Formats: sequence, C-alpha cells, structure tokens
Amino acid sequence: MKMTKKISISKYLSYLFLIVVSAIWVIPLIFGLATSFRSQTEVVTAGFRLLPINWVVENYVTIFSDTSSAPILRWIGNSLFIAISHTILVVIVISITAYGYSRMKFKGRDVMFFTLLAISFFPSVVNLIPSYKIIDMLGWVNTPWAMIVPGLAGMGNIFLVRQFMKNIPRELDESARVDGASDFQIYSRIILPAIKPILIVCGLFSFVGSWNDFLWPVIVYTDVEKMPVTAGLLLLQDIYGNYRMIGQLMGSAILAIIPTMLLFVFAQKYFVQSLDLNSGIKG
Amino acid sequence: MKKKMNLSPIFFVGPHIILFIVFILLPSLYGIYASFTQWNLVGDPVWVGLDNYKTILFDQDSTFHYQFINGMKNTFIFVGISVPLMIIIPLLIAVALEHKGVKMKSFFQSIIYVPGLISISAAALIWSLIFNKQLGVVNNLFGSDTVWSATQPFAWIVIFVITIWAGVGGNMIIYRASINGVPKDLYESAQIDGAGPIRQFFSITLPSIRFPLIYTLVMTTAGAFNVFAQPLMMTAGGPRQGTTVLMMYIRDLAFSSGESIAGIASAMAVLLGVVILIISALQYYLMNRNAS
Repeated sequence: MKMTKKISISKYLSYLFLIVVSAIWVIPLIFGLATSFRSQTEVVTAGFRLLPINWVVENYVTIFSDTSSAPILRWIGNSLFIAISHTILVVIVISITAYGYSRMKFKGRDVMFFTLLAISFFPSVVNLIPSYKIIDMLGWVNTPWAMIVPGLAGMGNIFLVRQFMKNIPRELDESARVDGASDFQIYSRIILPAIKPILIVCGLFSFVGSWNDFLWPVIVYTDVEKMPVTAGLLLLQDIYGNYRMIGQLMGSAILAIIPTMLLFVFAQKYFVQSLDLNSGIKG
Repeated sequence: MKKKMNLSPIFFVGPHIILFIVFILLPSLYGIYASFTQWNLVGDPVWVGLDNYKTILFDQDSTFHYQFINGMKNTFIFVGISVPLMIIIPLLIAVALEHKGVKMKSFFQSIIYVPGLISISAAALIWSLIFNKQLGVVNNLFGSDTVWSATQPFAWIVIFVITIWAGVGGNMIIYRASINGVPKDLYESAQIDGAGPIRQFFSITLPSIRFPLIYTLVMTTAGAFNVFAQPLMMTAGGPRQGTTVLMMYIRDLAFSSGESIAGIASAMAVLLGVVILIISALQYYLMNRNAS
C-alpha cells in the first residue's frame, strides 16, 4: 500500500515537470507562428497578443513577392543546395574512407587512422582564420563550395562508420574475394547495403549541421544573394526597430525552420536511434 | 621477383587524406604560426615572435588586452553557468521520462528535442520577440518593462534561456538510453532495502551512468567555449560589452570591415584552444579518477 503511494507521487511529479518543461519549450514556437499570421496594422494598433485577432497570410505574401531587401526564398534555396550536396558527399566520403580503414590491409593503417583522429580533436577555433584564407585562395568565398567541402574532412563520422563495419562478418568479403570480386565491388555490393542504417544517421545529422551552421557562413559570405538562410537571418535582426515588420520577421524565421522540422517528422526514429550509437561509447 | 604493389587503398583513403590535410591539418598549423606574426589576411605574415602574446596578456594600455580579458571572462561566465544546467536539466528530464508510470514518452521527448534542430538565428529571432520590451510574452505576462537584452543580469539570462532551450535535446537522449540500460534488479533490491527514489537516484542511477556523464560533460564544455551565435544574435555583446565573448572579438579582429588584425586574432584563438584542451583533459582525469 505504502509502496504504490510512493510510486504515484513520484509519477505525478514527473508528469508535472515534463508538462511544465514541454510548455516552456513549445510556447515560443507557437507564439512566433501565431505572430507571423498577424497583419502589420494589427501589431501596431493592438500591441501584444498571444493569438491574432484576424488570421491573415499577408506577411507570407509579402515575403514571397517582395524580395528586394530580404530574399528569404533565395536564401532557403541556397541552404537547400548546400545542405543536400554536403550530405550526399559526406555519405560517399565516409563510407569509402571507412572501408579503407577497416577492410583493406596496408602498412601503418591503424596508426594513420588514430593519428588523424587525434589531430581532429585539436580545437577547431585555431584553424578558423587560416581556413578562410584557404577558401579565399581557392576562389570559394561567396560560393556554395565554402560550406559544402571543408566539413568533408572531419573524422567523427568515419570513426562511427568504421565501428559499425567491424560488426559485419568478414566471411562475407572473403567469399566474394574468392569469387573474384574487386574491393570496389565488395564495397558497393556487400558493405554499402549493410551499413545503410549508420549512413542514414550520419547523413541526417550532416544535413541538420550544415543547414544550421552559423559562425562559418557569417564569415565566408558577404554577398546577400549568395548566403544561406542562417547568415541571412542575422541581417534581419535590425528590423526589431520597426514593429510593422514583426510579422514578416516571424514568417521568415518559421520558413527557415520548416525543412529540418519536416526531416524530423519523417525520420524521427533515426534521430532518436542515434542514442544506441552514442551510448556505445560507455563501453 | 618484383612484388606487386597494391595501390587500391590509396583510392579509398587517399581523397579524404587530401581533404584532411587541406582543411584541418594545414589551417591548424598555420593558425599556430600566424599567432606569432603580424598579418592582415591579404599580404604575407611578418614574424614578430611573442609580441602578440605579450600584448594580449600583459599590455595594460592595449585594447587587445582589454578585449582578451573581457572576452575570456565572459566566455568563462557562459561556460560556468550553462554547462551545469546543460547536464542537470536533461538529466532530470531523462529521469522523469524513464519513470515507469509515465506515458506519452515520445511526445514529450519530441517537443524537448525539436528546438535543437532549429538554426540558432531563426530561434534567436523568435526569442527576441518573447523578450521584446513592448510586444514580448515575458514583459506582458509579468507586467514588467525590462529591456532584457540591454540590462544586466537579464542579458545573460536571455542568453542562457535560448542556449538551454536549444541545447538539452542531445544530452537528454544519451541519458535516457543510459538510464534505460541500468539493470532493473538493482532498483528492485534497493526497494526491498527500503531506499526511496532519491536515494536510488544517487546510489544507483548516477554511478551506473558515469561514463555517459563524463562524455557529455567534456563535449558540452568544449562546445560551450566556442559560444558565439547566442550573444551575437540576442544581445550584440551588450550592455557595454558585458556579454561579448572571446569568439566575437576574434571574428571582429580578423574579419571586420576595416584592416584585418589576423595575427592578434590568431593568438587569441590559440589561447582559447589551449584553455579548451587543458579543461577537457582536467575534466576527463578528475571524473575518471573519482569514478574508479
């Protein structure tokens, strides 16, 4: 009797805590969304309201039609091109590289791998300024390549894929090799299908990371037409001086949020599945 | 007998090695070299030895000295307050979610996880409205007229709120999985011994998940030292440079519209990098020793 009472008290406390936290977490998004449907005149005359008096789409119409000061759609297009290209290249590079480090035999293979891994832990703040110089020398400032390529050099995803590959039985490659298959055939026909789950997870996080990257695009893009949406929204912060524009501002923020939200809705299990990989580190 | 050289590994690991050299190894080495030079990013760097470090660390009259000390101080304030919150809050959420009586777990988890997928600039625009003086939810709810982003300590509070809102999801998922992996019979035998939920948390849950705790602590701390977007977007470093963190000074010195001062900025970056390395090593050492 006493036991069940105790459990139910802690159960209600847990619920209470989760409901309060969830409410605080979701209110800003709802408030931003609702404000994006308030008309300019209503914001000026009625001031603060949680929900609009009249729901109107005029802010979104303005965002789509008047692109002179803030080309939101253009920015979102730039971001999509960058994030999709980056993701595709990440998946190719990490799977091929991890195959080399886990399935092929060459001298100094593991020493090489762990040396690169150790170097990659060096704080990235130190290479920020020279990275800009390199991008400048390649002629990539204000081009999508500035954001697509440098991230391919990372070691974290290659480490994860290599770990994953270790669990695929070697007998599979050996028998294929006896049948005369080349390394590339083993990679593409046996390994690639087997590591699909980890590649999906790495791809999703690469997309989200690329879409949301902030410091780097703020540095490498000065051309308003060429920048991704995260850097573009920084330029809009000044609009807070002008209350007429608040609805448009919220509309722009909401539009910038939609792609990663959609990704979460459709691939939720992979985002949460990453927990198995992460908890793998407790080893 | 000529031994046949197998070149195919080069095709598999070679492309990435080139990328690694060009975008990680070279810039890291060059960043250290540049910290000993006077450099404007355009011309060739001129070797000045330890001058940049002397100026930054000891020259009381120099703006760079003030910027470094102030930026480092503000970065430490951010790390010191945000990191404990980014560990404790997701841990509490994970414990509540893993309570066996709680239903709709994935619903709560989704709501708390989703802000982490939102770009910091979009999130900052929305939170700026929440804290807006006239139109914001906070002031209108509590009948105050605080200018949040321009008054201390509220400027810091705004920065911490958006950081926690966007940042607890990842750690929450790691903790949930770890707590879920703790053997259930440990709790059952503790219950028989009469241990309450709080006792159980401190004597079973916490010790069982110490490795994920160390991992998240080290990663969260290293990430927090690179803080940049939240103060830039929410307070523009104000009031009176009270929330200007070191990354903001580094970016301004190297990339602002005037002549670039990349040598000084590189020296600040190296110092920040050294601090990150020392603190990560220290955390890892202390936590590992206490845990065993």
